[in-house]
Amino acid sequence: MSDGAAYWSDKIKEIEEHRSVANERYRRWSSTTLARWNKKTNYKEVPRYNSSGIKLKEIYTSEDLMQDHEDKNLGMPGEFPFTRGIYPNMYRGRLWTMRMFSGFGSPEDTNKRLKYLIKHGETGLSIAFDMPTLYGFDCDNPRADGEVGKCGVNVSTLKDMEIMFDGIDLSKISTSMTINAPAIVLTAMYFAIAKKQGVPLDRIAGTVQADILKEYIAQKEWVYPPEAHIRLIRDMMVYCTHNAPKWNYISISGYHIREAGASAVQELAFTLADGFYYVDMGIKAGLSVDDFSPRLSFFFNSSINFFEEIAKLRAARRIWAKVMREKYGARKERSLLLRFHTQTSGYTLTWQQPLNNIIRTTIEAMAAVIGGTQSLHTNSYDEAWALPSEQAVKVALRTQQIIAEESGIPDVIDPLGGSYYIEWLTDEMEKQAYSYFEKIEQMGGILEAVKSGYIQREIANTSYRRQQRLERGEEVMVGVNKYVEEEKEPINILRISKEAENIQRRRLKDIRSKRDPIKVKEALNELKRAMEDENENLMPYYIKAVEQYATLEELTEIGREVYGTWKEPTIV
Amino acid sequence: MKPERRNLEYSEKMNKEELVEGILRGDRRAVSRAISILEASINAELSRFILNSIYPHTGKSQIIGITGPPGVGKSTMIGKLCELLVEQGSNLAVLAVDASSPFTNGSILGNRIRMQSDLTKSGVYMRSLSTHGVSGGLSRAVWEATSVLEAAGHDTILVETVGAGQADLDILELADTIAVVLAPGLGDELQAIKAGIMEIGNIFIVNKKDREGAYLSMKEIEDILSINPGKGWNPPVVGTNSLTGEGFDELIRYISEHNRYEKDNGGKKRRRVYNTILMAVKMRLDSMVAEELEVVRERLSAEEQLHSRNPYEIADEYLKEDVKRLISFAK
Amino acid sequence: MEPGKNQRLFKDKPIKVLLAKPGIDGHDRGMFVLAKAFRDAGMDVIYAGLLPTPEEVVDTAVNEDVDVIALSLLNGAHLTVFKKVVDLMTKRGIDDIAVVGGGTIPDEDKPKLEKMGISGNYGPGTPLSVIIEHITERAIEARKKKLGIQ
Repeated sequence: MSDGAAYWSDKIKEIEEHRSVANERYRRWSSTTLARWNKKTNYKEVPRYNSSGIKLKEIYTSEDLMQDHEDKNLGMPGEFPFTRGIYPNMYRGRLWTMRMFSGFGSPEDTNKRLKYLIKHGETGLSIAFDMPTLYGFDCDNPRADGEVGKCGVNVSTLKDMEIMFDGIDLSKISTSMTINAPAIVLTAMYFAIAKKQGVPLDRIAGTVQADILKEYIAQKEWVYPPEAHIRLIRDMMVYCTHNAPKWNYISISGYHIREAGASAVQELAFTLADGFYYVDMGIKAGLSVDDFSPRLSFFFNSSINFFEEIAKLRAARRIWAKVMREKYGARKERSLLLRFHTQTSGYTLTWQQPLNNIIRTTIEAMAAVIGGTQSLHTNSYDEAWALPSEQAVKVALRTQQIIAEESGIPDVIDPLGGSYYIEWLTDEMEKQAYSYFEKIEQMGGILEAVKSGYIQREIANTSYRRQQRLERGEEVMVGVNKYVEEEKEPINILRISKEAENIQRRRLKDIRSKRDPIKVKEALNELKRAMEDENENLMPYYIKAVEQYATLEELTEIGREVYGTWKEPTIV
Repeated sequence: MKPERRNLEYSEKMNKEELVEGILRGDRRAVSRAISILEASINAELSRFILNSIYPHTGKSQIIGITGPPGVGKSTMIGKLCELLVEQGSNLAVLAVDASSPFTNGSILGNRIRMQSDLTKSGVYMRSLSTHGVSGGLSRAVWEATSVLEAAGHDTILVETVGAGQADLDILELADTIAVVLAPGLGDELQAIKAGIMEIGNIFIVNKKDREGAYLSMKEIEDILSINPGKGWNPPVVGTNSLTGEGFDELIRYISEHNRYEKDNGGKKRRRVYNTILMAVKMRLDSMVAEELEVVRERLSAEEQLHSRNPYEIADEYLKEDVKRLISFAK
Repeated sequence: MEPGKNQRLFKDKPIKVLLAKPGIDGHDRGMFVLAKAFRDAGMDVIYAGLLPTPEEVVDTAVNEDVDVIALSLLNGAHLTVFKKVVDLMTKRGIDDIAVVGGGTIPDEDKPKLEKMGISGNYGPGTPLSVIIEHITERAIEARKKKLGIQ
């Protein structure tokens, strides 16, 4: 097994060498039967490509499979390389978690929505925060004006979290929090609430997104320079490995990378490249690979290109398993499993003819399930206009339930396994991902590639090319550039009132007056001192500070004082 | 001039005297609008008025030209330099020159610097200029913009160009101090950019000082420079690290030393007068040529028998008449 | 949308547009697409970067003397934040720079924005040619105002 970029080129060679050379069946058919038919019907061949720019033949046959395909590359569910699924009985044993991304307005509003969803059958919680919270601003910061509660729930202190989780037993349900720059603060708050509920930390289950690399690449929710955020992730990783073994301290994400305009292969490659970086980070922090990697979790997009998405997810599992075993020497099986949450693609939703979005979400959800996701969020049909209304989010949830209970899809594991097309496409995407890894390695690693702007520029170019194809009509979005209607369907969208902002500001003022200012200052100073020492683990300091009701912005400011801020390189 | 208008921001409803008065007051809107007017140069009389009025207020600032090949971390270096200059109390202005698309004529401007610093937040005036869309040449537009900025009270003006082409050299020659940014390990590129740039550089900056080979690169540059020992000013080579701020104190010191050197030797004054005359003549000639070409275009579109004759003969005929016209303009 | 076709008024100086998201919104996919599209349509584009404040947006627009400010927000805060930009411009007496809006803007908010002087207000999926045409229209208006100097 070779090191560095050579490892990746070896893996590419492996695939190429095992590819079948024969192409007889297709050649015979396409030059005779197909050619005759096309001539007779006057059909002029238009080449088809998927989102990754991979050219698609009209049909795939056994000659498109790799030699020794089933044994070498496919395996069985629950067996290396896990292409067919990470658990032996997949959805027969346990359905995917139905986890609807939610949050808006005040914590009271969100608490109500969470309970509504639980009542209607969601099996895991997922919290969306508003823009001020995501960037570490308190609700009374002038920049937060007009933004409080608009994109998600507003959280400025522990009190907000207490209200949001009021009446929800954290020992009985797992929670995913989509928060990145201040991930460690929100994690600290969640742990503090668990403490208040009397739930021991080692029973707390859930996820915090925290993946800062994809922020620099796509979502852009960072505050500090990369090294600072990476240190915070390291601290969460180490702390949770020792104290909160059921907590996924990171959700290595491709969803946002795809939404920013990347193709499926780019999403696959950049996400896993980020993942490898975090593995390197954990090892550098002195942890054994088998100790921390079982809790690395992933988050993928499920877009509208049905088969491409399924192949992408299968390729992701296979690549992760191979690399973890071969390159990182992981021994335990749990270290090889790529566990992931999926969200259907927001970018594919249209504001025109919103009911069409139900169909899109359904197709995307099916791809995620056939692709073997552990957890799924389905978008609501009105999300191109606003945050989901109650009615719309219920339909989105029912989409999952109908797939689960009526369609029969979960009854057989990896039902498309063995399909010539799917297997060929999985192999092809795996190979292209290795090419990207090789290139990134030659650039000095993913962090360098991100700091220089290379990854971001790749994505911006792919995105622009796609828009140009749409403009030319080479790609279609129904209702947008084809089957366009003049009248707009009236739908009742969710309106977030300014009231949430007022409630939050009043509450924050109240908290500031009631908390012990000396204890807060002490906690903040201790945090700062610890932050200046690279070897300190900051998690306990954050927990202490949030318990004293230090605010999100006060805590974020400490990091700014120690580490400064960061501006992204030129992308356009 | 009506007294109650004195401190209001310039608006397009004001007249040209008020525009100039706004420039001298340092009003951003007036400065900005004046630069646009000069850039477009559609109104020769107005441009002349502005330049004549502000000329007495120019000559005191230091114009620093910064250039270097792509990939040397120039923008981060400039960002850091600006930050420190502002901290030291400079009333700084930045002109960023970009190349526009040769196909579509459009461009995305000044992103590099804008992305690397909080210039706007710290009150620095930043303006982007692109290679197209500027009548009569980019160097004239840049020169006139620096005059406006000088008259507005900016003591230091950074002019940043993208590369090492001829157009960039033309612009850079307008500067009092030219800083060339390089990065370690450029190797072959160092040889390629040697022509021209190395000759006019007054200060050489080797950025990313902590990278491997930084020391070697500084030595290499020093060797090249010592082959042509300049008379008087020996261009120093400074190593900088934009992340840590290392080397920047030295750089700023050299910048101000060179400023003093140019002032003491009269080189700056001489160059200023030279450039002003050159640009003024160029502007006049450019507008004359533009007008002339318009006349030719009109005649050509009216001309019926274009194909039947040798185009060069036709051109010669037109030129004979052009020269007659131009001579009459000059009177 | 041929490159440079709409440039007759701008023969010597192309349309200059400032692209900005003046609120807390890091979703920049659309900004990059628009920047490239405007450039390919022959315009000079200034991109305001991530998380500029309304003050920074107006300062940049003035310093660069743009013809149009193109504001976009996907975070629902458009009524509050776009208004901040327009109010700053009014306070400074700037009326020769046009403001065009876009993003996730419900139909019922559009008249309110138009009243502030913000036109367009295009949602995602709007054809680029439509946006470019509108920006060009408003740029011509603004440029005519700017040239009204004695």
